[in-house]
Amino acid sequence: MTDVQRIRNFCIIAHIDHGKSTLADRLLDATQALSKRERRAQFLDKMDLERERGITIKAQTVRLRHRARDGEEYILNLIDTPGHVDFSYEVSRALQACEGALLVIDAVQGIEAQTLANAYLAIDAGLEIIPVINKIDLPTADPDKVAQEIEDVIGLDSADALQVSAKEGKGIEALLQAIIDKIPPPAGDLSAPSRGLIFDSWFDPYVGVVMLGRIFDGKLEVGDSIRMMETDIERDIQTLHVIDPHPRKVSSLAAGEVGMIVAGIKTLTEVRIGDTITHAKNGAAEPLPGFVAVKPMVFSGLYPVEAEDYEDLKTALQKLQLNDASLVYEPETSAALGFGFRCGFLGFLHSEIVQERLEREYDLNLISTAPTVRYRVISQDGESFEIESPAALPDASAIKRIEEPMILATIHVPPEYVGPVLGLCQERRGTQRDMAHHGSRVQVRYELPLSEVVFDFHDKIKSVTRGYGSFDYDLLDYRQAPLVKLDVLVNGDPIDALSLIVHKDAAFHRGTELVRKLKEFIPRQMFEVALQAAIGSKVIARTTVKALRKNVTAKCYGGDISRKRKLLEKQKAGKKRMKRVGNVEIPQEAFLAALKLGDS
Amino acid sequence: MSDDSVGVYVHVPFCERVCPYCDFAVVAARRLSPDQEQGYVDALLSELERRAESYAGRRLASLYLGGGTPSLLRPASVARIIRRVHETFDAAGSVEVTLEANPGSLERQRLPGFRAAGVNRISMGVQSFSDITLKRLGRAHRAAEARLALAAAREAGFDQLSLDLILAAPGQALEAFERDLEEAVAFGPEHVSLYELSIEPGTPFALADARGQLRRPNETGVLAMLEQAEHRLAAAGYARYELSNFARPGFEAVHNRRYWERRPVLGLGVGAVSSDPPSARAPFGVRRQNTRDLARYLDCTGRAESAEDRDAEIFDAATARGEAVFLALRTARGLDSARFSDEFGSPPRGFWEASIDELVGRGLLEEAPGGDLCLTDRGRLLSDSVFQYFV
Ligand SMILES: Nc1nc2c(ncn2[C@@H]2O[C@H](COP(=O)(O)OP(=O)(O)OP(=O)(O)O)[C@@H](O)[C@H]2O)c(=O)[nH]1
Ligand code: SF4
Ligand SMILES: [Mg+2]
Repeated sequence: MTDVQRIRNFCIIAHIDHGKSTLADRLLDATQALSKRERRAQFLDKMDLERERGITIKAQTVRLRHRARDGEEYILNLIDTPGHVDFSYEVSRALQACEGALLVIDAVQGIEAQTLANAYLAIDAGLEIIPVINKIDLPTADPDKVAQEIEDVIGLDSADALQVSAKEGKGIEALLQAIIDKIPPPAGDLSAPSRGLIFDSWFDPYVGVVMLGRIFDGKLEVGDSIRMMETDIERDIQTLHVIDPHPRKVSSLAAGEVGMIVAGIKTLTEVRIGDTITHAKNGAAEPLPGFVAVKPMVFSGLYPVEAEDYEDLKTALQKLQLNDASLVYEPETSAALGFGFRCGFLGFLHSEIVQERLEREYDLNLISTAPTVRYRVISQDGESFEIESPAALPDASAIKRIEEPMILATIHVPPEYVGPVLGLCQERRGTQRDMAHHGSRVQVRYELPLSEVVFDFHDKIKSVTRGYGSFDYDLLDYRQAPLVKLDVLVNGDPIDALSLIVHKDAAFHRGTELVRKLKEFIPRQMFEVALQAAIGSKVIARTTVKALRKNVTAKCYGGDISRKRKLLEKQKAGKKRMKRVGNVEIPQEAFLAALKLGDS
Repeated sequence: MSDDSVGVYVHVPFCERVCPYCDFAVVAARRLSPDQEQGYVDALLSELERRAESYAGRRLASLYLGGGTPSLLRPASVARIIRRVHETFDAAGSVEVTLEANPGSLERQRLPGFRAAGVNRISMGVQSFSDITLKRLGRAHRAAEARLALAAAREAGFDQLSLDLILAAPGQALEAFERDLEEAVAFGPEHVSLYELSIEPGTPFALADARGQLRRPNETGVLAMLEQAEHRLAAAGYARYELSNFARPGFEAVHNRRYWERRPVLGLGVGAVSSDPPSARAPFGVRRQNTRDLARYLDCTGRAESAEDRDAEIFDAATARGEAVFLALRTARGLDSARFSDEFGSPPRGFWEASIDELVGRGLLEEAPGGDLCLTDRGRLLSDSVFQYFV
């Protein structure tokens, strides 16, 4: 067993793309964790989705050995975290398993919104922070300016900042030494009743639920009877593993260590992220603090295209939730789409990732409805309730007022781009709170309706600032707004899954655009399809998808028959990916048409 | 599908030049050299010898020489093929022997020879009687040649003539197509095949179409042409017995009907497709296609292990059922419920109750009291949409 004094637990945090995963690669290299054959860029981004999109979605833990200058061998538990705000829950959980954090800052971009947000999270969690200025190899890198920002904006001592190039492997030795010198060893009490914090988990088809835990006190050994303090489940430990960098069996995990715990748990609901593991006998009296529950920001319905996949979707959501503690869901029924789930996400990217993971990892074919925020409705009889789906909005006559969630957006931007950013915020119904100069950057704060930012605001900020602007937000409060429900009727039948809640002034425009967009998505059918947008009983826009008039294959003799049949089969398979609502075949993408308005 | 007959299809891959919309197995052979011709016919006959066994005991119902341009063969070669096929299979009454001919001048002179060789039906690839349309289609012949060829065919004694017409050719206006129809009717063939130009991937036309250079008639235009064709041909006594085929009573193509009825066909030659009869190993038959590569095909001559095994498709019940429906629905007679039930154990409703109800309800399908099915007028226009329900 390793002496606690020679363990360092730390995570790598930063704004998106500042080079966390690449830095992790260099730390893996410097500690010879991987064979030549295994090495690849952003090794810890293991999911295909992460590699395709070039971003980290899941925090990943890995244990490294490093012989320091004092000649001793140290154990380093590293957690690489995602930078995108939608995955910030991964960061906040990782922080609680660590004593220190490497705060990576891009030497060109400087401090951005998520740099600040993550730095504050780490400070709040009481972590030792080592600022790491990365990408110093870039010709436009300005590490001195960034060092100054670290002092001015975050208030950390820039004398502690290290300069590295994760790409070229510069400054890595010094960084390793700083990790050992500056980050305190874990403080756990080996003799106290055992306590381990479950900060991640996943489902393995062979062994069931795998928990990733940080041991704070005592020691867990294979064969021990343990109890999950919140769910009150007792099990025996079957195996324990450390990940260095692949799972390797060990006989025990002691205070200060991080590792995988397998305890024969097959029931998905028996494990909860943030729960504390203790011994079944002589266990701890008090659980560890756990995590603050996350508040989903956007909601959308997820439905199987094939009704019979409902149970599969349910199981898939349970399994995915083990691995994505920020996902929430509850059953929902739609007149148009049947049985499905209303899911809550931290943001739009999160919702996209969840849908993709469900489709890929669980082989499902899903329809997602357009994301919406949570509105508060005050009815005529004074009752107040919240809705997470436009379909749940009662008839206008029963509503006294609707309130929408407001946020305080913090936008970091170089001075030359302030103009366009203000313009964008105004367009999105924003009210300026204040503006401040921080080093070479301007921080603009705006109060905005959440519904105006969830979908594409971040991309828009990026595009009006040529990539130099960044944005973070906090929920403020709920405020009344003149909102209405926009319904879509297909051949006269309202399709609840297509309803939207929109600002009154935008309703006509959105309605017109929406039916126009739907027309592009809905293929011609054997009969005419009428599309209408309506507010209450008033139709505000209409269009039609003309009936298919001809669909014939001319020749069909010996040589062509197989080919023609395969073509028919292919067309049929294409139809299977559509949802039949009434008689009309509606493709999956059409349910997200509301997001495609404006980009024709 | 109890059937003791066989149809033989012989593919002749040579064409004077390759048309820009063609995706058949063809080779350009401006002049077919006697050696080349003999080599190919030898290969065909040796393939016949090798493969006849799987069709042993069947009686010959039809022989179809298609292509390509079979009329590029000399009558002596055609005679050799016909003779050997007759020697291989006993005839089931009178045998329909069709030869596809292009209306070139060379072929025209050979028509009496083909007749003497035993051909009794000519399918003439006229396509259009308009020079400009023929030119836009990249065809080698001109309208005047087509007229001469048709007259020559009659003169040679062919009393079964079929004429191919194309519709929706680039730049083709409704009036131009109507003139084609008029001239076809005036000539008075026994049979007319009418094909809408289809753009096949990989052809020069596909490329031109993608670039928007083809100026194809729009949907409304094509619909008007189809409507005109049906109307004009019906008035002249031709029944639309299949989606693309019209005939005077009693002159429906015997050979082509075998495909829609899923009867065995032995296909010989490059790229030829065979439908083997059902066997113990393949209770719903096998479809196999020969290599589309001429050199490879010739190479396989005389070898026991031959080129035709490529892509053998052994039917399972579901695939066979789907084909049975969509092929039968192409014909005016439609799907014979009893015959279907004999083969698959249950009538169509046993497999597609909801689909049939829906399609009948939508006016696309007509169901006779006994369960026979056929397309309605509207169903014929949307046939591919209907067929999707069954594959
Ligand atoms: N020039 C240069 N490029 C770097 C350096 N470090 C990382 N990059 C590049 O920056 C991009 C982002 O790197 P990642 O390591 O994926 O960044 P990340 O912080 O892990 O990103 P997220 O996990 O998505 O937040 C990649 O294209 C890297 O190659 C560096 O030191 N120099
Ligand atoms: S003549 Fe017929 S087979 Fe030959 S290239 Fe033209 S279309 Fe193709
Ligand atoms: Mg990363």
